[in-house]
Amino acid sequence: MTTSSTLRPGTGDHAVADPGPPAPRRRRGDGAAALAFLTPSIIMFLVFVLAPTVGVLVLSFYNWNLLSDGTFVGLDNFDRLFHDERLLGVYGSTTYMALAILAVNVVLGLLLAVLLETRMPNWLRGFFRLSFLFPFVVSASAVALIWRFLLNKDLGLVNYLLGLAGVDRIDWLGSSAFAPVSIIIVNSWKTIGFSILVYIAGLQSIPKQLREAAIVDGAGAWTRFWRITFPLLSPTIFFLVVINTINSFQIFAEPRVLTQGGPGDSSRTIVEYLYDRAFGDFDLGYASAIGITFALVLVLLTAIQFWFSRRWTHYS
Amino acid sequence: MNIPRRRVALACAVTALAATALAGCASGSDTSSSSGNNNKALEIVYWNYGPAAESGNKSTADAFMASHPDVKVTLTPVTGENWGTYYANVATLIASGKRPDLMVISGEGAQFVHSNNLVQPINQYLEKDAGAKAITADIAQGLIDGFTVKGDVITLTYGWNDMVVYYNTDAFTKAGLEPPSADWTWDDFKATAKKLTADTNNDGKPDQYGFTWASNEIFPGIMPWVANAGGNLTSDDVCAATVDTPQVNKAVTFLNDLIKEGIAPAPMPMSDVFTRFQNGQVAMFGAGRWPIATFLPAGFKAFDIQLYPKGDTYKTVFGGAGYPILKSSQNPDLAWEYQKFTVSDEIEKQYVGTPDKPGDSIPSRRSVAETISKVGVPPANSDLYYNSIDKYPTLVPYPAPAKYSTFESTVLRHLQQIFAAETSVPDGLKSLQSELSGIVTC
Amino acid sequence: MSTLTTSPATSPVTPPSRAGHLAARVLTFLVLAVAAVAITAPFLWIFRGAFSGSDAELYRLPPTFHAENLTLRNFGQVTEQVPYFRFFLNSIIVSGTVTLAQLVTCSTAAYAFARLRFRGKGLLFAIVIGSLMIPIQVTIVPLFLVMSKLGMTNTLWALILPGIFSAFGIFLLRQHFMALPYELEEAAKIDGAGRFRTFARVILPLSGPSIATLGILCFTYWWNDLLLPLVMISDTERQTLPVGLVLLAGRFSTGSLGTIAAGIAMAIVPVLIVFIVAQRYIVQSIASSGLKL
Repeated sequence: MTTSSTLRPGTGDHAVADPGPPAPRRRRGDGAAALAFLTPSIIMFLVFVLAPTVGVLVLSFYNWNLLSDGTFVGLDNFDRLFHDERLLGVYGSTTYMALAILAVNVVLGLLLAVLLETRMPNWLRGFFRLSFLFPFVVSASAVALIWRFLLNKDLGLVNYLLGLAGVDRIDWLGSSAFAPVSIIIVNSWKTIGFSILVYIAGLQSIPKQLREAAIVDGAGAWTRFWRITFPLLSPTIFFLVVINTINSFQIFAEPRVLTQGGPGDSSRTIVEYLYDRAFGDFDLGYASAIGITFALVLVLLTAIQFWFSRRWTHYS
Repeated sequence: MNIPRRRVALACAVTALAATALAGCASGSDTSSSSGNNNKALEIVYWNYGPAAESGNKSTADAFMASHPDVKVTLTPVTGENWGTYYANVATLIASGKRPDLMVISGEGAQFVHSNNLVQPINQYLEKDAGAKAITADIAQGLIDGFTVKGDVITLTYGWNDMVVYYNTDAFTKAGLEPPSADWTWDDFKATAKKLTADTNNDGKPDQYGFTWASNEIFPGIMPWVANAGGNLTSDDVCAATVDTPQVNKAVTFLNDLIKEGIAPAPMPMSDVFTRFQNGQVAMFGAGRWPIATFLPAGFKAFDIQLYPKGDTYKTVFGGAGYPILKSSQNPDLAWEYQKFTVSDEIEKQYVGTPDKPGDSIPSRRSVAETISKVGVPPANSDLYYNSIDKYPTLVPYPAPAKYSTFESTVLRHLQQIFAAETSVPDGLKSLQSELSGIVTC
Repeated sequence: MSTLTTSPATSPVTPPSRAGHLAARVLTFLVLAVAAVAITAPFLWIFRGAFSGSDAELYRLPPTFHAENLTLRNFGQVTEQVPYFRFFLNSIIVSGTVTLAQLVTCSTAAYAFARLRFRGKGLLFAIVIGSLMIPIQVTIVPLFLVMSKLGMTNTLWALILPGIFSAFGIFLLRQHFMALPYELEEAAKIDGAGRFRTFARVILPLSGPSIATLGILCFTYWWNDLLLPLVMISDTERQTLPVGLVLLAGRFSTGSLGTIAAGIAMAIVPVLIVFIVAQRYIVQSIASSGLKL
């Protein structure tokens, strides 16, 4: 149960250590079975993921605006990255917002999911669960409709309520200080139900007997959480850290509909920035170069997370 | 080294083909659905922004086919949240090999399609076609100039909008104010707006404002003020940015002062302005004719319009839309017939509408636009729409460079900082000017 | 509320509350209640908007409420302005097909990654995770060109096929499968069951919570996706609900707030049904599925 294992990216055969100590070590792998199990995904991957990705790679060496002839420009698009005065600032605001959203999802999400495990009537539990997931089910247009009304500076509901409490009007969407905070709030609001749901699935998989045994042993709630729940939940936590990192770094809709990335670039994300390069400037090549380098940054981040996970992620 | 568009597109898709072959699927044939072989076919791409766009284009196409029984018109609606995403999606279609005969563009897109060599100018048709003279004589010169790029007339305009001030008549009555007149000045305007601003719940902050403008667009936003200060955002040939001039400074400072003095709220997008105008939280705002398509069906009629107030000068700011003929058309002559048809009486009447179902833009033909007030479509002052372009000086050219989308978002990004008081007006405009120097070029 | 009642097999894990725990329990409920209210409150405004006869009233401060202004007119407006039920059907087809297909492809692939030994597994898994990194906004043009080559643009296939491979789903299920005890499979193996039988008879029945979770998340994601239909589909009859909302919003988003709110409210309902149905499985604990440790 304490055998820790994880992926070491890119290192062949036994990279994902296959635990299962009781299994007699077999000489041959399960190649044929694996192929059968993987084929559906592989076909879909090749045509609808790999092909477009190769397309992006090709585009990054071209100067192309969709409408006129493309020009092969070698590494020019990548060279431009280093002369783009806005890019670093956009990376900065993206990172700031992404880390905050990640923290809210992973920590607050865990707290709420664990609290949901306490004894309560089933209908109440179902009601809470549904409440938390609610924002996740609505589209970006609903997000825009709701939050533009709530967060408007002079004629919005939040400032009106704060005003009753004597708080001065806050420029939620129009100031560099608060625009990213608003994006963090709105995106966390939208995604936390997702994290809670995944946590719940993880918590449900923890054999109740283990915790009940601990109770019999007289372990307190705090001890039980750190000794039993946390280690057994670590694959789920790890999953959410990885996925929420990727998702929160790729935020697009909220800044677009709420702040247009501004003021300045204070709430702009990389994806929004490259979208504007691609479909505002029609500069497909440069947008692809931004996309590829951004993907490499995420790959690096994820690889680090996988590497660290070996220390604390426990698989059965 | 230039590689044809199709080859780049091909390179992108080549791995897909390989994968398809691998999977043993029959590869679909190239979908370039150009109307090439059939001489009597037209394909038209339009922006499907809502039910009105679709029904309008359908009825135009149906009417055209009724009068030209041998022609088959295919409509390709392209959805987009705004003109920008519409253009992006059309470009994607074109990149994949689609070859439409006509596509709807707005005036802001004229330089864009021209610089990408997409359109067939209509100059020769305007000269040769016997009926063309009568049509152009019935269309305000500004609307033709607005679609002229380097001497090339891009298209006839079927509908357009000028920027006017909407005011809430109830708010004026309540504040004991007379309706504004066409010769009001910036000072009159500011005094009026100030009287319309109120703190109804006595918390020390206004909750009813005199004026606001759209934060997400420049035409109904800062442009009328810039024009009336005697400036423009670009040079006359649209080849250089001119945003750090005293005129632009004056206009932006005027608006910024409205915010600072609490006469205008923090700027918000157009759609939010509409609702707040209807419920009286904002007494005046600027837009084209399109708000009436929202106001009248909602039963809101307590408004009228007036020209923007005069600054050092007065110039009407406007924008139009048309169906330019694309270079890729196999049937330019037939496409010209269609374009002409879009400004025929029959079609133009749609843009007049009825009091319950008003059109959302101004017909470009004077003789048709004059019927708006006869039909009784509010507001009372509707004759002003066409007069503003016929009888007053206009802002030509559009400050709409080929990279319009980037241009507009850059301007808005810097204005956001100025209006949030995070930079001074001159500093903000100076940095805007330096950034635009790489975007507004020829 | 009875539809929300979870399966009776769920057993509470907290011991009977002792006096000292009362404060903790009160605090727990307080935190949950505050969070639930904070998260759902904004929706009351949407639902109110959906039934509101006056857009102007919606933005009023302080919020006012006039029962006489309540109306069902907005819902009629939605169906009158756009072919709402057509969009609805398309959305169901797209989200439903993608979800079912994902459950198959993701669970089989995840099983291979979690339990099978084969050459290149690490590399393959790294590629799977790596595919999450490139934002769709930059692959959309090449993807469109691929679809165009396959002759599938402007068909629902263009919305379904790109969604079937899901690195997210494979990763989610792999994490879950890896956490399952090995002993069960060993028992099956001793019984002579093949890999597929083990997967279908042992692994899947134990994976209700995570498969239901993937189902909910996948369905919801594709239900709300706007980018693909906006780019891939031009015919109105083949559009999905999020595009319907864009059409309702109209030019410069100046459509009636009440109508848009009604459209949003109508679009939420099916997702709620999927959630309510699926959550029965989420709470199906291992204890209740016959596993003995």
